Amino acid sequence: MSGTILENLSGRKLSILVATLLLCQVLCFLLGGLYAPLPAGHVTVLGSLCREDHARQNDTGFLLYSRGAGACIPVTREEVEQDSTKMANELVHVFQMPLPRDLRDLDYSRWQQNLIGVLQVEFGYDSSSELREPPRELQLTIDMRLAYRNKGDPDNGWKLYAHGVEHRYLDCVTSHVGPTETLYSCDMIPLFELGALHHSFYLLNLRFPLDTPSQMNLQFGHMHDLTLTAIHQNGGFTQIWLLLKTMLFPFVVGIMIWFWRRVHLLQRSPALLEYMLIYLGAALTFLNLPLEYLSLVYEMPYMLLLSDIRQGIFYAMLLTFWLVFAGEHMLIQDAPNKSTIRSRYWKHLSAVVVGCISLFVFDICERGVQLRNPFYSIWTTPLGAKVAMTFIVLAGVSAAIYFLFLCYMIWKVFRNIGDKRTSLPSMSQARRLHYEGLIYRFKFLMLATLVCAALTVAGFIMGQMAEGQWDWNDNVAIQPTSAFLTGVYGMWNIYIFALLILYAPSHKQWPAMHHSDETTQSNENIVASAASEEIEFSHLPSDSNPSEISSLTSFTRKVAFD
Amino acid sequence: MDISYIFVICLMALCSGGSSLSQVEGKQKSGRGRGSMWWGIAKVGEPNNITPIMYMDPAIHSTLRRKQRRLVRDNPGVLGALVKGANLAISECQHQFRNRRWNCSTRNFSRGKNLFGKIVDRGCRETSFIYAITSAAVTHSIARACSEGTIESCTCDYSHQSRSPQANHQAGSVAGVRDWEWGGCSDNIGFGFKFSREFVDTGERGRNLREKMNLHNNEAGRAHVQAEMRQECKCHGMSGSCTVKTCWMRLANFRVIGDNLKARFDGATRVQVTNSLRATNALAPVSPNAAGSNSVSSNGLIIPQSGLVYGEEEERMLNDHMPDILLENSHPISKIHHPNMPSPNSLPQAGQRGGRNGRRQGRKHNRYHFQLNPHNPEHKPPGSKDLVYLEPSPSFCEKNLRQGILGTHGRQCNETSLGVDGCGLMCCGRGYRRDEVVVVERCACTFHWCCEVKCKLCRTKKVIYTCL
Repeated sequence: MSGTILENLSGRKLSILVATLLLCQVLCFLLGGLYAPLPAGHVTVLGSLCREDHARQNDTGFLLYSRGAGACIPVTREEVEQDSTKMANELVHVFQMPLPRDLRDLDYSRWQQNLIGVLQVEFGYDSSSELREPPRELQLTIDMRLAYRNKGDPDNGWKLYAHGVEHRYLDCVTSHVGPTETLYSCDMIPLFELGALHHSFYLLNLRFPLDTPSQMNLQFGHMHDLTLTAIHQNGGFTQIWLLLKTMLFPFVVGIMIWFWRRVHLLQRSPALLEYMLIYLGAALTFLNLPLEYLSLVYEMPYMLLLSDIRQGIFYAMLLTFWLVFAGEHMLIQDAPNKSTIRSRYWKHLSAVVVGCISLFVFDICERGVQLRNPFYSIWTTPLGAKVAMTFIVLAGVSAAIYFLFLCYMIWKVFRNIGDKRTSLPSMSQARRLHYEGLIYRFKFLMLATLVCAALTVAGFIMGQMAEGQWDWNDNVAIQPTSAFLTGVYGMWNIYIFALLILYAPSHKQWPAMHHSDETTQSNENIVASAASEEIEFSHLPSDSNPSEISSLTSFTRKVAFD
Repeated sequence: MDISYIFVICLMALCSGGSSLSQVEGKQKSGRGRGSMWWGIAKVGEPNNITPIMYMDPAIHSTLRRKQRRLVRDNPGVLGALVKGANLAISECQHQFRNRRWNCSTRNFSRGKNLFGKIVDRGCRETSFIYAITSAAVTHSIARACSEGTIESCTCDYSHQSRSPQANHQAGSVAGVRDWEWGGCSDNIGFGFKFSREFVDTGERGRNLREKMNLHNNEAGRAHVQAEMRQECKCHGMSGSCTVKTCWMRLANFRVIGDNLKARFDGATRVQVTNSLRATNALAPVSPNAAGSNSVSSNGLIIPQSGLVYGEEEERMLNDHMPDILLENSHPISKIHHPNMPSPNSLPQAGQRGGRNGRRQGRKHNRYHFQLNPHNPEHKPPGSKDLVYLEPSPSFCEKNLRQGILGTHGRQCNETSLGVDGCGLMCCGRGYRRDEVVVVERCACTFHWCCEVKCKLCRTKKVIYTCL
């Protein structure tokens, strides 16, 4: 690669550009912080107990609900205790979402995107009984039926959405040892994940079948409260998020077209880094594509998986780009021929590939299977949890290897830079300018990347630390998690936008460049081409006619200013 | 948590209910717990009645004060939760006291009488427990009912202010629905606290020591519900990572709260008749070391001043009763985010209280805004979770209907125990009887899915000791 816009831009223009981009960054942050609500909301539903008729227990079309005409009449704990068999095998735990508030029946809106349900179980044993410490990994068998109803349907118009008999393993701790009863509260168990919140109302019926021959659910004492927490994305957050995506999308697409046209105007085939930049832009465009609008009309349960994949592709592309960028700025080329991913970087990138594939497999195992069975979760079985952990550890190890390798490459580049620096004064001017250009480009990207990464990490930590919102004063409150999400999203967009602008080939070199093989980066070529123009360089034109300046001259000027 | 909204809601509730407050009920003796009649609704309607209990029911009419009736009318479904809450309090109280001479017995409810009997007329430990447990039970049960969806008026508090700063609640539920779509709704627990404050504390204006004792114990009950809340979080970012995390509060089982209150009952603080108001001008901020022997001297300083403020406050209480509740309402909400508070007896808590006071300087009248002094100046002043009482308890040994004591005749006791449930103490030395009874129970059940349960009948012999 030869002269890019970055080297040719005057300090003033560069600072204006950087300032504009920083302003956009602050706007992205404030958009999330000031306007967006928390990313996710939740509804905590306490299960109502309904008693059911044995005759209909296997009829999955039969659904019990707790509000509306024809609702079941809930039984109380006292009635259950008084019953001679404690209503064993007759109880249904009913959860109807969302709950009414402010004298209104609320309903889910499609803006709320997805629904994740977790269940908290509390049970107790008589303190007198010998079983004080319940075994770890207590197996619970749950018959789950999820149903939905739309606005305008009759109160009993529930339709079955999914049915499954699932096992969950409970990890419980003694929460309270009383004189008569010991209470245990258990870690929450994931219950279901819906990738599309398409309907207005949801209903969950849970049964805990007791069966002596198969030893099913017998170790549980008295079931106390069952609490379902249904987490959804907040509608306001979706709107802000989509607004951000819709705004960023045309800009990135536009700059990509501009970039590609610029590359094609050159009399050469695009260099590897230019390919990488355009791939990176494409990955970002895929991420920016506001597909979520479709989910307002169509039921798209694969949205969760798709958004994971989109993010995965983007991150994989970004990591690859950094590695290739470092490799292309080695200054000392091993092979003079044009580098491609296949020829030079496949070994370097194996860590990225392994990490991404293992995360992809994990995601397919979790969210992919959930497309078929929303009650499925890989974490619920000990074996599944181990497999999932393996994939995640593999991904983590690859990430670590990747970063170590990247650091090694960057260190090598800096060492090379140091080597070249010492020999720079003895070089011919053109050659020196070429190297100084490479060094400048590399350092600029290093700085920008480090700043972005540091901001991401800092934002993430602050988002985790902050509870609730930060109150600036009485009128202004910042929502840190949303601000973090929109801020980071906007930041990587701006980062790539800036890369596409600044690393686009500069047209200022056209008049000077006659060599189509400039891109091969063969040092001899550069030296030759520069040597033929050396006389021109010595007479520096003034600022007023920049069109005549080649990339290298402008760079000399910059150096002179420094 | 958006406090300003809570203010608005309370303002609405109080604008409707406040007018009745200025009406002074002369009939009742001042020594009595005025706000305690509502306990009677435990017996008015069983919670599982198929026909919904109506607030117009004459029995309820006679049990509830006017403001309470209004609250019940304005919040459909709340009555069932109150009935459940009152019953929860009674059963928990009876469970906690099953082994004591006073076993939290309730009388058959009749109009104009107190559910727990005349024991409530005395400001003793048992009374303090009754107040605390009932107020805790109402909080708990209202919050639960909100999560069950049986109360329709539970509020949806998360409204992002920049989105709808003008959306007052008169604009009504359209704004509520939009808030829900935009930013979801808050936990229900805040509503439980708010409602309990307004409903349970209606009759207690904090004008005399007994009313202050009741207020303090009601607050202590709620503080225990709050202290036992636990935060739970779930990560659901990309591939389930923690880039997005949602947290919520979880209510503890009421048994836990009952046990904690019982522990406070055992260590309850007797408070003095002379009490100093922690009014703004008298406020030498409650320093941590005022807890010890220092408090004697500081009492001497504060009392003359506070007497003056006290009268002032009393007057204000009658005139405008509203804002003081509003002010205090921010307190349970703001504390929700810190469920693991240090124990109130510990010194940092005292400091925290001082800090809270300082923040509210300038808001002069506040009925929750007082500090009771221990009877024994060597003791620490009671913390926000401590129970307080005024006079020692009677022995509860002999039946004394004038004081509302049933005595321990005919109570079961434990022969081997040396504690209060042992036959020696329980029967007050009168001796006891030994009986053998055969109990028939279902046992060794086998289950088949679906849908069969088979049990055997077991006969077990049990020995029962009964006080003479």
